[in-house]
Amino acid sequence: MDINVLAFLVPAGITACFLPLSDASSFVILYIVTSVYFSGVMVRLMLVLAPAACILSGIALSEAFDVFTGSIKFQLPGISRNSQIDVRDTSSAGVVTQDDGVKTDKNEESLKERPSKKNKKKERENAEKALIKPPLEKRLLVLPLEASVISLLLLVLLGAFYVVHCVWAAAEAYSAPSIVLTSHTNNGLHVFDDFREAYAWLSHNTEVDDKVASWWDYGYQTTAMANRTVIVDNNTWNNTHIATVGTAMSSPEKAAWEIFHSLDVKYVLVVFGGLVGYPSDDINKFLWMVRIGGGVFPHIKEPDYLRDGQYRIDSQATPTMLNCLMYKLCYYRFVETDGQGFDRVRKTEIGKKHFKLTHFEEVFTTHHWMVRLYKLKPPKNRIRGKTKKSKTKASSTTGSKGSGKRNPWQ
Amino acid sequence: MREIRLDLLLLSLALLFAPAFSDLLLSKVDRRIDLTSHVVRITSTLKVENAGTDPVSEVLLAFPDTQAKNIAYLTASTIEGKGKTKSSSVSLPIQVVHPDGMPPSLTWHSVSLLKGLSKGESLTLDVLAVFTHTLRPFPEKITQAEIQRVAFQESAYYLSPYVVKVQSLTVKHSGQFESYTKLENSRASGSEIKYGPYENLPSFSFSPIVIHLVNNQPFAVAQELVREIEISHWGNVQVTEHYNLIHGGAHITGEFSRLDYQARPHVRGASAFRNLVAKLPPRAHSIYYRDEIGNISTSNLWGDSTKKLLEIEPRYPMFGGWRTSFTIGYGLPLQDFLFQSRGIRFLNITFGCPINEVVIENLIVKVVLPEGSRDISVSVPFAVKQWEETKISHLDMVGRPVVVLEKTNVVPEHNQHFQVNYKFNNLSLLREPLMLISGFFLLFVACVIYVHSDLTISKSSTAYLAKLQWDEVQATVQQVLNIINRCLTIHGKLEASLRDLSRTGDVQACKSARKSADSSLKELSKELRPVLILLQSSSQAVQILPKVEELVAKERELQEKLMLKHSTVVDCYEKKSGGREVENRVASIQQKITALRQEVDDLLEIIDEI
Repeated sequence: MDINVLAFLVPAGITACFLPLSDASSFVILYIVTSVYFSGVMVRLMLVLAPAACILSGIALSEAFDVFTGSIKFQLPGISRNSQIDVRDTSSAGVVTQDDGVKTDKNEESLKERPSKKNKKKERENAEKALIKPPLEKRLLVLPLEASVISLLLLVLLGAFYVVHCVWAAAEAYSAPSIVLTSHTNNGLHVFDDFREAYAWLSHNTEVDDKVASWWDYGYQTTAMANRTVIVDNNTWNNTHIATVGTAMSSPEKAAWEIFHSLDVKYVLVVFGGLVGYPSDDINKFLWMVRIGGGVFPHIKEPDYLRDGQYRIDSQATPTMLNCLMYKLCYYRFVETDGQGFDRVRKTEIGKKHFKLTHFEEVFTTHHWMVRLYKLKPPKNRIRGKTKKSKTKASSTTGSKGSGKRNPWQ
Repeated sequence: MREIRLDLLLLSLALLFAPAFSDLLLSKVDRRIDLTSHVVRITSTLKVENAGTDPVSEVLLAFPDTQAKNIAYLTASTIEGKGKTKSSSVSLPIQVVHPDGMPPSLTWHSVSLLKGLSKGESLTLDVLAVFTHTLRPFPEKITQAEIQRVAFQESAYYLSPYVVKVQSLTVKHSGQFESYTKLENSRASGSEIKYGPYENLPSFSFSPIVIHLVNNQPFAVAQELVREIEISHWGNVQVTEHYNLIHGGAHITGEFSRLDYQARPHVRGASAFRNLVAKLPPRAHSIYYRDEIGNISTSNLWGDSTKKLLEIEPRYPMFGGWRTSFTIGYGLPLQDFLFQSRGIRFLNITFGCPINEVVIENLIVKVVLPEGSRDISVSVPFAVKQWEETKISHLDMVGRPVVVLEKTNVVPEHNQHFQVNYKFNNLSLLREPLMLISGFFLLFVACVIYVHSDLTISKSSTAYLAKLQWDEVQATVQQVLNIINRCLTIHGKLEASLRDLSRTGDVQACKSARKSADSSLKELSKELRPVLILLQSSSQAVQILPKVEELVAKERELQEKLMLKHSTVVDCYEKKSGGREVENRVASIQQKITALRQEVDDLLEIIDEI
């Protein structure tokens, strides 16, 4: 979709590169083949594919233009005797412009571009040599005049439509700021300004020293707009710290509370797109949190969160998944919005619908439910009947230190 | 609650032992307390009668200290004319006074009457007192689901140093209340609570009552509002307002559930407010609404010829204790607000905040006058603190004078017009454009001077001399090229004459052309000689000289060959030999000619490039 017409011009360009196969054209062929492979592995590497595709399409279009314009020139009245010489000239000029075409993207430029003085001299030399040497025979493809004219016009139209597509792609796909989302409805433009709403709320209604824990994608935004300290941000230089946050998001409520409390966190921020259909939310990124957390803390195991190798959050999800903090914070009271709890991104109903939070309380949710903020509840003053048990637990755990697969926060 | 009751009890005890005061008598007092908004407005209609002998020119109003520090606005007015022919109401000046012999912890305001009230006369006085922060949220913290209740304390009897014959009190509220202090003659009906009428109460009578009612009006309190009004004599008054808003009602505790708020906003979050409406002058333009992070898109604007209404929604709904801050800016046309009379210009603009029902705890109004304004004076209808500053802005040299007015406890009643007078010389208007014009002018003059000036430090240094010589060499080379080009044109003419010959067969014309070409070529070679000598003598031309000499030599060769060809062709035509013979004889010469031509062209190019 992004490369539009280039999808069928690239194979044409590859075949054009083989006739003749020089150093330059073999380089281009290798470039396109390797970039196609890597773009297939990770779609962001289409950035590498783009120049190669453009070059090859330029070559293909240039060859096509050569054939059509040659046919037209051959059939124009008045040129009979010199037509052969002209043909040779145009073929040599074609070689020259093909080299130019390799360098420039749009072949129309190469045709309209006046050959430089050096090319003129080469042509004159060629013409002079032609007088001396016996003329070379070259097979020429000549198409009917009307067909070539129409094809030329169609090729120009193709180029024009490609320009329109490129402008549209740059305007819509590459210029969208990811902080304010818009959608076109019947009543015009609908603006989703939830991120800035949440950051403004954090900035005005929390204390200056409060720390906010979220996934690292929102670190810089929180620091800049909400002016609050975060635990991990986009710098991602401390993998263990990110793994700690990931473990906290993947653990049940109490364990997560312990982790966050040890980090002196006051607020937890999660991004949830299930109500409006925003696909880049934390539930979609959750598997990465599990993987990164499990890479450092072995008690988090990825298969615990997958059912039959599939990542799900509906009624078939594993109990570990349905009890983890991320699930609970995202879907807290979500079922009350429509009665069934239908998640518009995952396109299923959620598994656990009615539950209460014991260690967190909701302090703010934005207008479209895209950002949800929770506060850590302070620890209870009295823990009934647990003090003796914790002492024995401590002695038992110190005894069994050698097991290795222990949760460091318990 | 209990402490305040104790305080009022002490006050009432103190007042019991206070003496009666002066000869004025209040024959009828009607008080209406409006509790529908978070700003409390008490309107008292007093019928003052002079029961004594001397004329009295002032009426004293008493307020308990606790209440007096919350007074935001106090006016008194009389209605001229009696009965049904009521004409305009005149507002009377009020000052704070400290009379002697009065009970403690009371604040006194004195209303000065226009003409003294003589014996037996009576007068109707309308007193409007506006209080802020007197509705205390009670309970102070509520959850999202609860409604907001406030407590209001007042005295059922009118506190006055004069004897009151008949008085009554009406309290208007939004419709729901929890409780009120029940005294004799008190009843609640609909949305009003009535106390009275009470008759013949002594002076300083005081009976504290507490009304606990429900008030869900938006408690918008701006903790700080900075209004900057910038005057530009080019036609625009720019107003920028920075708000720090807080919801002044009961603080919200516990969870905030967006679901509850969106599903049933009037049940869950009844006291929260969503939007504020600002009333702007009708020709306001370029209105923007933004905060620190960026533009806020949730706003609406509509208006007609008398006003423009701007409805703004903060980024999130305001619950009790939540803050937000934003900036509103708009531009106004100058002719609506700046006037001139007798050489003095004055700005007539509103003082307070354009948003409805906002209490401002600290209001700072800055009026930025254009640079060069003198004799600045301000007239505001109420007391403000003022001082002057300077602001340095676009194209300023000394800075613009800024008049800063500060007032605390501002209510919508303060939104009256105030004037800033200043003097400004009409010619000073031209200062800015002249500054720009002269700046650019000097820049261009400097460029002109720099290009044309000779900035060489030493006129006898070798580099300078070498440069001069090189310039000379270039000029001479240009001359040589010029001459060569002229030679080439003559060659072209010769060739043309040959072609003419082949077409027309006119030998005589060809011969005459040849002769003229010969003569001009000779002239040109004569011209060339001194130029060449000059070149040879110059030392800078060492590199270019061989090429030039080669060029000249080649050109001469070409000349010779051309002449040879020309003569052969003419001979052939005279002998009337065929075309093929001509071709044969000329062929070799022609080859050489083309080769030489090519070389000459190359050399010309090379010399051009140097």
